[in-house]
Amino acid sequence: MSELLGSLKQRSSVFISLFKRSPALLVGVALFSLLLFLAIFEPIIDQYRLEGHKATELGYFVKFLPPSLKHPLGTDQFGRDVLGLHLIGLKFSLIIGVFAGGIATLISVCIAIIAGYRGGITDTILNGITNSILVIPSLPVLMVVAYYTRLNLIGMCLTLAAFSWPWSTRIIRSQVLTLKQRSYIELARVSGLNDFEIMFTEILPNLIPYIIIGFATSVTGAIFAETGLRILGIGPARVLSLGLLIQQALQYGLLTQKRYLEVTSLTLFLIIIFVSLNLINKGMDEVFNPKLKKVTGQ
Amino acid sequence: MACESESGMSVLEVQNLKVYFESVWGNYKVVDGVSFKTHKNEVFSIAGESGCGKSTLVDGILRLIKPPGHIHSGKVIFEGTNLLEIPEDEFRRIRWVKIAYVPQGAMNSLNPVLRVEEQITDAILDHSNMSKEESRELAISMLEKVSLPVEVARMYPHELSGGMKQRVIIATAIALNPILVIADEPTTALDVVVQKSILQLLGSLKENYGMTTIMISHDMAAHAQIADRIAIMYAGKVVEIGSIYDVFEQPLHPYTKGLISAIPSIGKKYVKSISGLAPGPLNWPKGCRFHPRCPSAMDICSEVEPTMKDVSSERHIACHLYE
Amino acid sequence: MLKLGKISRIAVFALKRLLTYTVTLFLAFTVIFCILRLIPGDPWSRFIDNLRILQLNPQISQNVIEAFRHKFGFDKDVFTQYLLYMSNLFLKFDLGLSVSSYPTSVQAIIMRSLPWSIGLLGTCVLISWSIGIVAGALVGWKSRSKWSSAIFTIALGMSQIPYYIMSILLIMFVAYGLALLPARGAYSASVTPGLNSAFILSVIRHAFLPALSIVVISFLYWLVSTRALTMNILGEDYLLFAEAKGLKKIRILNRYVLRNVLLPQSTGLAMSLGFVVNGAYVVEWLFQYPGVGTLLVNSLRYLDYNLAQGAILMSIVVVLTANFIMDFIYPLIDPRVHMQGKGD
Repeated sequence: MSELLGSLKQRSSVFISLFKRSPALLVGVALFSLLLFLAIFEPIIDQYRLEGHKATELGYFVKFLPPSLKHPLGTDQFGRDVLGLHLIGLKFSLIIGVFAGGIATLISVCIAIIAGYRGGITDTILNGITNSILVIPSLPVLMVVAYYTRLNLIGMCLTLAAFSWPWSTRIIRSQVLTLKQRSYIELARVSGLNDFEIMFTEILPNLIPYIIIGFATSVTGAIFAETGLRILGIGPARVLSLGLLIQQALQYGLLTQKRYLEVTSLTLFLIIIFVSLNLINKGMDEVFNPKLKKVTGQ
Repeated sequence: MACESESGMSVLEVQNLKVYFESVWGNYKVVDGVSFKTHKNEVFSIAGESGCGKSTLVDGILRLIKPPGHIHSGKVIFEGTNLLEIPEDEFRRIRWVKIAYVPQGAMNSLNPVLRVEEQITDAILDHSNMSKEESRELAISMLEKVSLPVEVARMYPHELSGGMKQRVIIATAIALNPILVIADEPTTALDVVVQKSILQLLGSLKENYGMTTIMISHDMAAHAQIADRIAIMYAGKVVEIGSIYDVFEQPLHPYTKGLISAIPSIGKKYVKSISGLAPGPLNWPKGCRFHPRCPSAMDICSEVEPTMKDVSSERHIACHLYE
Repeated sequence: MLKLGKISRIAVFALKRLLTYTVTLFLAFTVIFCILRLIPGDPWSRFIDNLRILQLNPQISQNVIEAFRHKFGFDKDVFTQYLLYMSNLFLKFDLGLSVSSYPTSVQAIIMRSLPWSIGLLGTCVLISWSIGIVAGALVGWKSRSKWSSAIFTIALGMSQIPYYIMSILLIMFVAYGLALLPARGAYSASVTPGLNSAFILSVIRHAFLPALSIVVISFLYWLVSTRALTMNILGEDYLLFAEAKGLKKIRILNRYVLRNVLLPQSTGLAMSLGFVVNGAYVVEWLFQYPGVGTLLVNSLRYLDYNLAQGAILMSIVVVLTANFIMDFIYPLIDPRVHMQGKGD
């Protein structure tokens, strides 16, 4: 038991030192955690705030109430509390982002490790495919797939993942190539481990920082794409993501009605999601890739 | 300061230069009170192990020190002015025109996207009123002077060998006929055959162009080949200065003795190296910095730091053995 | 003078790149074709309904329907349709006829929208990239001043927001809120298209907000990445040597920093085009700007397969062409690059 505590202490001190080295990372993780908290506890928050009613329930409150303590963002034309709606939107956007991003990261890690480690023809082909997908504008293709296939939440996540895995594959693959040169890989090979074992026990653990960066990038990409598709009118109608809320805002003319608060709140939630993920990426970069040469003597 | 001023013109005089690097753990005193003079038309060598501060010394003189390093104190007198005190602008005008620099690692000192001739002419153009054509001609004549074929001018750095790149750097350095050329480890990373020709080139600068040359190197054999006078550096300080013959034939400081006996040469039966490792600039040893490794250490050596004294004219030593 | 060997090397390189791009195009296209054909939904009945409305004739004879089906090739099975389409495409560059705007050809429709998209995107990309690089180099150069760190943090935060977010805010605050600039279309209905100043002015006014959405964020992205690159370069030996040579600061910035930043950022530019197009299409839709993006969305709504295929194909072709052109520009920028593949 004390061993467990001991190693936990070690692990947490490692984390703490990570944060000390990069304020960007700290802010990014803090912000994102806040968002996650809001998303996860959204049902409870709404229960508490809305006297036990769901935020999507039509007509419970008076229409078009101005912002007040009870309704910080007011109510919309259907009498729904706007903040509650936005929190649900946040929840679904994050769910899609995290799942699609997660699947994409999984795919990209496998491909990057296999391509980078195996090299040769496998690498050339896989790398070629990765680069081709990267170069092509993926939105048009995504649009077609999503529009016509009447996707549900899971389908959406899978489709988004299918288009966003190349982004993190590049980062991870170049790291695999660097790691491949290290001497302990030679050692592992000589000691009789087969390729798979080497890939997953020796290389993988060293890729963790990059996998995290890849994950953050994939989540960003997924939410970018999902929101974009929504604005174009494409996507599962029952999944109330922030993107769908924006599309509804456009549809109901909230922009022309100059309902600044509602629209700004929506964009702000999205901005904070993207900024926090970006900060996490930059922070991880700062900590694990200190490129600035610090001269400390000869 | 024990070094008395010699008669004769000194081209560069460094007085008690200290270059420190700040860090969380304290000050790295990489150059900790270095003084010497160079005379006109000579090759002045600075020798020492890696880590003794030679390169930082040069960077300090040339005001190329970047944070977290900074010049702590000292003077660098050139043509009557203290170079460390004049404004950046003014110093830029002295750079290259009067003092040229052949850096360590010529491999990476050339801009990969510019042709060789551009890298010679840009210095010429920024320091004179010559036209582009004139500067080009000058650049080509410089290439001839360092025995490089004219075709090199239009080439890019990646097309050249290490030795050729080093020659290009030297050609750039002498283009504006500077008074002083400082060469930092000019032969490291070159193969032996090329080393000799580069050294010959450097050695010839004083005869052919009247330039004073300061050469930094950890390679004693290089110094033996072309130096007139030599200063031995250890742990951020100069421990011995003298003419090359005197120092090689009769090294006074125990460290110098160690350095010289460590040089392999044909006919030498065995090579003796200096035991121990060079100490770090964060914690120089108390007293004489060499005392932990010195075979002739006395009690006083671990207490009091020796100062530079004259043994004879042109021969200076900082060691308790000679006080 | 180009020697024969050099010419043939360039030709071989060009062919290799062309081949790679064509293969990519072909594969992407096949995927799209299959998706469009294998999904539920029938563009067909829409078309017939349209016809009925146009002709004010609720009864259209089966012959006519069959004739149209045949014309569009929908009577054949998928595989044959594919072969037909591909052969038309690659041999005659014919994209087929639009189902929703029959009898206009898909090409004609796309050609009306393409100039708007390329104009908007081209300008935005060039402006944001060039200014972003110079600004990034300057900020990286003076990276120690407080000024630059502050700018940088803000830039960092804003560089990863999608263009459409910026568009929404601009539309609401500037177009509707302040009523400064128009929110829709490429030019106002009251001017006549042509080389007259009223038209040109109108085009500029209408393009302003869409362009701004793209340029601001794109510029910040290039600023951030160039700054990082510049700070790396500052640590390089050749920079130190340049300083030791006493070169003028402006020369160092220009020939030692910018020139070395140019190659990686050019590669980056080519790679980013797909991303830029994605973002730009949503921006077009928000502003109802008559480019290929809006066209594509509309074609999907009208279930016009041919038009959708054509628009997607065009988008991919434009991006790949830009990449192809860049492949030839690289060796001019960086002498170390010898007409090789874009390896890592």
